[in-house]
Amino acid sequence: MMKVSKILISFILIGIGSLVAIIYFYFIQRDFTQQHRKFIISINNLENRYSDITNLVLKNSLYIYVNQDNIAKANKKLEENYENLKNSKILLHKNYADIKKKVSALKKDLDENKKNVDYFLRINANIKNSLLFLSRHIDDSAILNKYDKKELLKARIILKHLNDVKRLQDLDYIKKEDYLLSSNSTNKDVQNYIKSFNIHSKFLVKEYPIFLSVTKKILGYDLNELKIHKIKEEFSAIAMKDFDALDRFAFVLLFMFLISFATIITLLLKYQHENKKLQETYSSLEYSLTYDQLTNLFNRRKFELDIEKTIKPTLLLININGFKYINDIYGNSVGNILLKYLTKFIKYEISFYEKVSLYRLGGDEFGIIFNDIASEKSLEIATKLEKDISNHIFKIKKIDLEISVSIAINSIKPILENADLILKQIKKSNTDGVAIYDESQHLKQNVKENMKIVKTIKEALKEDRIAPYYQPIVNLQNSKIEKYEALVRLTLKDGTILPPFKFLDIAQKSSQYNEITKIVIEKTIKTSKKYPQYRFSLNMSMRDISNKEIRDILFDALEKNKDAKIDIELLESEYLEDMKIVKDFITKLHTFDSKILIDDFGTGYSNFSYFSELDIDLVKIDGSIVKEITTDKRMFHMLKSIKEFANGMNMITVSEFVESREIALKLKDIGAVYAQGYYFSEPLEQPLDDENVII
Amino acid sequence: MMKFILIFLLFISINAKEPISPIPVKADYDLKKALLGKSLFFDTILSKDRSVSCFSCHNVYEDGGADSRDVSIGFDHRKGNIQSPTVLNARYNFVQFWNGRAKNLKEQASGPLNNPVEHNMNPQEIEKRLNKIPSYKEEFKSTYGVSYISYELVLDAIVEFEKGLTTPNSRFDKYLRGEINLTDEEVKGYKLFKHYGCITCHNGINVGSNSYQKIGTFIPYENKRKYPDRSEVTKNKIDENVFKVPTLRNISKTAPYFHDGSSKTLKEAITTMSEHNLGMAISDKDANYIISFLKTLDGETPKILNAE
Repeated sequence: MMKVSKILISFILIGIGSLVAIIYFYFIQRDFTQQHRKFIISINNLENRYSDITNLVLKNSLYIYVNQDNIAKANKKLEENYENLKNSKILLHKNYADIKKKVSALKKDLDENKKNVDYFLRINANIKNSLLFLSRHIDDSAILNKYDKKELLKARIILKHLNDVKRLQDLDYIKKEDYLLSSNSTNKDVQNYIKSFNIHSKFLVKEYPIFLSVTKKILGYDLNELKIHKIKEEFSAIAMKDFDALDRFAFVLLFMFLISFATIITLLLKYQHENKKLQETYSSLEYSLTYDQLTNLFNRRKFELDIEKTIKPTLLLININGFKYINDIYGNSVGNILLKYLTKFIKYEISFYEKVSLYRLGGDEFGIIFNDIASEKSLEIATKLEKDISNHIFKIKKIDLEISVSIAINSIKPILENADLILKQIKKSNTDGVAIYDESQHLKQNVKENMKIVKTIKEALKEDRIAPYYQPIVNLQNSKIEKYEALVRLTLKDGTILPPFKFLDIAQKSSQYNEITKIVIEKTIKTSKKYPQYRFSLNMSMRDISNKEIRDILFDALEKNKDAKIDIELLESEYLEDMKIVKDFITKLHTFDSKILIDDFGTGYSNFSYFSELDIDLVKIDGSIVKEITTDKRMFHMLKSIKEFANGMNMITVSEFVESREIALKLKDIGAVYAQGYYFSEPLEQPLDDENVII
Repeated sequence: MMKFILIFLLFISINAKEPISPIPVKADYDLKKALLGKSLFFDTILSKDRSVSCFSCHNVYEDGGADSRDVSIGFDHRKGNIQSPTVLNARYNFVQFWNGRAKNLKEQASGPLNNPVEHNMNPQEIEKRLNKIPSYKEEFKSTYGVSYISYELVLDAIVEFEKGLTTPNSRFDKYLRGEINLTDEEVKGYKLFKHYGCITCHNGINVGSNSYQKIGTFIPYENKRKYPDRSEVTKNKIDENVFKVPTLRNISKTAPYFHDGSSKTLKEAITTMSEHNLGMAISDKDANYIISFLKTLDGETPKILNAE
């Protein structure tokens, strides 16, 4: 590319150079042509003036009465023309040095001619006058007629011959003649007449040779005219050569210009071609930056650009439920094909709408951006889409796949983040496939709901309808219930039992929380005293521990009931701020022979550093791991690892969410000690009297 | 109608045939420059001893622009070597001076100024003198836009003045233009002027002054001393006693005649010319006719002379 532009530039320079040369050359040529023309005009003028003078001389010789001003004028003009010719610019050129010399030499000839013309005029005047006189003299010849007729006749013949000489320009007419009159008459008048006649005839005979030679010089075919003509011819020959040279040079320049012009065009085309190739590379790069390789949809990058540009965006964030498992079960190739098919499916579904674009945001997540759409409409579209997808059977490699999706709708900034939030909620709640993010509505609903719940709690507290339920924890190795986990429940007036997540979060925001905690603690202690064969564990979050009032309630109760067998299940959370408080709390509990459990281990905020720093007795393995161990090998291995890790740390594991016998047996097999779950029992109002269970 | 056409044709034929042409009624020249030239023409500052001006030898008011003396008297009362020719209508002369040594008026004007027996000046001296005079400086400034008076411009101004020195509307010119009729005597004189052959040399706008001629073609003209003739210019023996044919315009006022001022009257001059150059004796009667014709060549006083 670089090379092409360098060549291009050099040819452009050559092109410009030759163009400048052409223009410069044009001026030179024009100048030369002008000079040439001026010289030709000058020399033509000189020739013409020369002819004029010749012509005027002829006229002057022919007519008696002539206005000689014309000759004087012609002479002056001739001189001017000669000056012009001599000063012709073209003669300064080297090639015309010879012409210049000849033009200079012409001056002498012209001066000579002028001298001759002057001389001619002088003699011509006298000759004309003498002939005039003689003609008149013959007219007045009465005296001669009277006394000497013979001489009169002679006079007439002489006059005729004198005229002939002039007319015929031939001296022979007078050479042989006796051109003088003589008479024997003694008459004085006759003698005077003859004397006058003879003066003039004598004069004419004397002047004629000079006159004829001068006339011949001027009129007789003429040297100067030939010279001028010759100069003109020589000049034209040289000029022709110069013009030829100029023509050739012009041709070369034009040729050079055309060559560089053609080269420039060629290079430009080449340049453009290469540019196009670059453009193509750029485009494909741009494509990969903009498009997803698998589905050919716009990618996340493009999505982020577009969402910025969209004025009133509504996002439908679509996620395939359990896509991970499809990949695990059928392999990535099937997963990829599913994504392609789904893309096609969604594309078709949204093809009925305007101002809409589909993006693959990553993994199994798709985004649809609508511009300027009512929330009802978007909800309608999403609902239909969700339903259509779940009703559709995707046939991939002879496998019939039925899938479901979650769709989050959001049009409130930050668009993607809010949609993500909703999508998580959907997944968590595992309820509806479609949810819309509407901040104001969401908050309002919450407030309303909260008020209702707060009221419910208040009433429940008043009517003592809040109480712990107890789920047994079984020792798998000896098939005996050894522990119970106290789980707070709120019994509504109609007998419906609410789990803690339905009211506890709201209670936490009010003063009711501590009261609930107190009730649970007190009632559990009371129950533990009633069933001394079991240990009872209470759930406490890090937030609870940080709360001095709750700590006091707990420790007060334990102090008063030293015989109660109470353990604490610590709920991990991001809330853990002051490690010292936790440490002190555990140390104090141990003085009451209480055991410490870590709840929900394996998920969330599990942090191994706890175990090195805190004196923990039991680890509760999270249900999401436990319930999968029979179906998912990895979960099983995970569980085993946790168990081994815990054992290594002198901790005993509790597996929750044991929902089948299969799981229970598998746990037992690997030597896991405690287990709890619906397989054994749901939380109960009162612990069982019989501690034995059959696995 | 026929009458008009006839008159028209007559008019054409007269103009076409006559070898003398009238002086343009209006001379073209630059008035401002000419007036400046006029001042110079009359100013004796242009001679070394401040005794003579151009006007001294070219009396444009009384002597037909010529000198009534046989030869002019110049610087230090020195005598010139030739009779001063008229300055009137000089612009129509084919060359200047008796022997045609100046091609044009400018060359001519320079001659007397530098001639030791005439003005006896040189260009430097003229410039020196004129540049000392505020009125001239001012006039040259306003006329030529220069702050220094150069010799060239002095000549230019004088030439411009001389261009204005034409004498149009002579009776003969008017006759040529068909405006008036001449008297019978005058017409007779003109005819004789032609018949005797005077016209072969004295023709054109200036009735002469368009060719050279030898004085004394039939009977040699005896000079009392050597005059600067054409041969001085051409260095050719055949040009001895050859002079520019003088103009006959205003001839009645420019006596004495010929290069040597030898003829004091017109009749004398005509008789001399007939004898020496026409080879014949002219009768008194015919000479008188010719004189009456010649007098019709007297023109108007140049307008520039009365202009301020």
